Amino acid sequence: MIRQSWWKILAVVILVYTILAGMLIPLKPGIAEVTPRALQAGTEVELTVTGYNSYYAKAKNDLRAWLKLKGDLVLKAARIEVLNDRTMKLHFILPQYLPSDSKDDACSLILDSPIDGAIVLPEGIALTQDSVNLLEGKKLWSVDKMDQLNAGPKLTFPYRSVLYESIRNQYFHVPLWFAMIFLFMFSVNFSVRYLRKYDPDADQRTLALNRAGFVFGLLGTVTGAIWAKYTWGAFWSWDVKQNMTAVALLIYSAYFILRGAFQDEEKKARLSAVYNIFAFAALIPLLFVIPRMTDSLHPGNGGNPAFGGEDLDNTMRMVFYPAGIGWTLLGFWVASVAYRVEKLQQRLLDA
Amino acid sequence: MIWNRLSLVCILTLLFQQMAFAQQASGDFLRSIGHIYVVVAVILIIFFGIVLFLIYLDRKLTKLENQIKENE
Repeated sequence: MIRQSWWKILAVVILVYTILAGMLIPLKPGIAEVTPRALQAGTEVELTVTGYNSYYAKAKNDLRAWLKLKGDLVLKAARIEVLNDRTMKLHFILPQYLPSDSKDDACSLILDSPIDGAIVLPEGIALTQDSVNLLEGKKLWSVDKMDQLNAGPKLTFPYRSVLYESIRNQYFHVPLWFAMIFLFMFSVNFSVRYLRKYDPDADQRTLALNRAGFVFGLLGTVTGAIWAKYTWGAFWSWDVKQNMTAVALLIYSAYFILRGAFQDEEKKARLSAVYNIFAFAALIPLLFVIPRMTDSLHPGNGGNPAFGGEDLDNTMRMVFYPAGIGWTLLGFWVASVAYRVEKLQQRLLDA
Repeated sequence: MIWNRLSLVCILTLLFQQMAFAQQASGDFLRSIGHIYVVVAVILIIFFGIVLFLIYLDRKLTKLENQIKENE
């Protein structure tokens, strides 16, 4: 029993790991909010910082903060007042001039704590000055130095605004599509085998793999729509990849309808095998070529960078790659059960 | 069989009512605590999707079992 179904046990183990690690590993500490966002040179300002997953109170005496302009020019916070783990007030004494040749500039905020590590709020704060004095500004902003930043907690997922905790959907929504592609790929393989040998068993395998693949595709679409609602603003944004998957799923749903149109078993198997090969041939450009050619909201499409860099760090890879394998194995498990039901039905019909 | 399906529908309706109620209570439930409930919703959808497919296969098997019984 165990020798035959080791891969099913593997699927369960990997999926348990995926769900536990995917849900329990915390997000990296981040800056949720900073007010005010517009500062005037030559004034003393108080910035209220709201943290996410942060521990300001624990690192009360070792906190440091800087406003950072282009060219590594920084201004250190004169005083830091910690209210609790998630809130603190930063006091900056802004010099009269900015190291800039225009009246407006934008700076980023950098926090450093031995517990949370260094956190950057990129380009989030606007600076204005009444008159321009580039040389004096450079001199005033070169007094402070930013050094010895802390690394922070290692086992975390990236903190990204807009995504927040929903970055974890990477382990649940994306692998569904991996599973679907592999299922459809194997089903094409069996369609080809059917057309070469006219073996009814290959037809039953194709049908079962397509059923499972279709279920995974539908789930991928619905979960994607939910995720989209809370990151892109609408369940369906008429994004190319959304539209093309809808087309692909319609093509595959026609496969099941086509099968229902024939009484004769052999004709049904033969035509649906040919159709299935064409369906897969259409699926590849629909999912992997067209979305790359126009603007798309999906990462890795239409000039967008793929998930990578800051979106997919090494901790995420530790969960994401096993998740892909786990969900694919589950897909084949579901397909194998569907196949056995189909096989049994065929045997009863033949008897 | 019909009772099975009815109870499932009841459970799902209750669940969605709960979610709708929670939404009213706290402004926007799915956006709370850094959108974590978006992930929970996604996992629940996958779970119920696969369970529904299992129910479909289960019903097919019941039919086949009845056929085998008749043949005997």
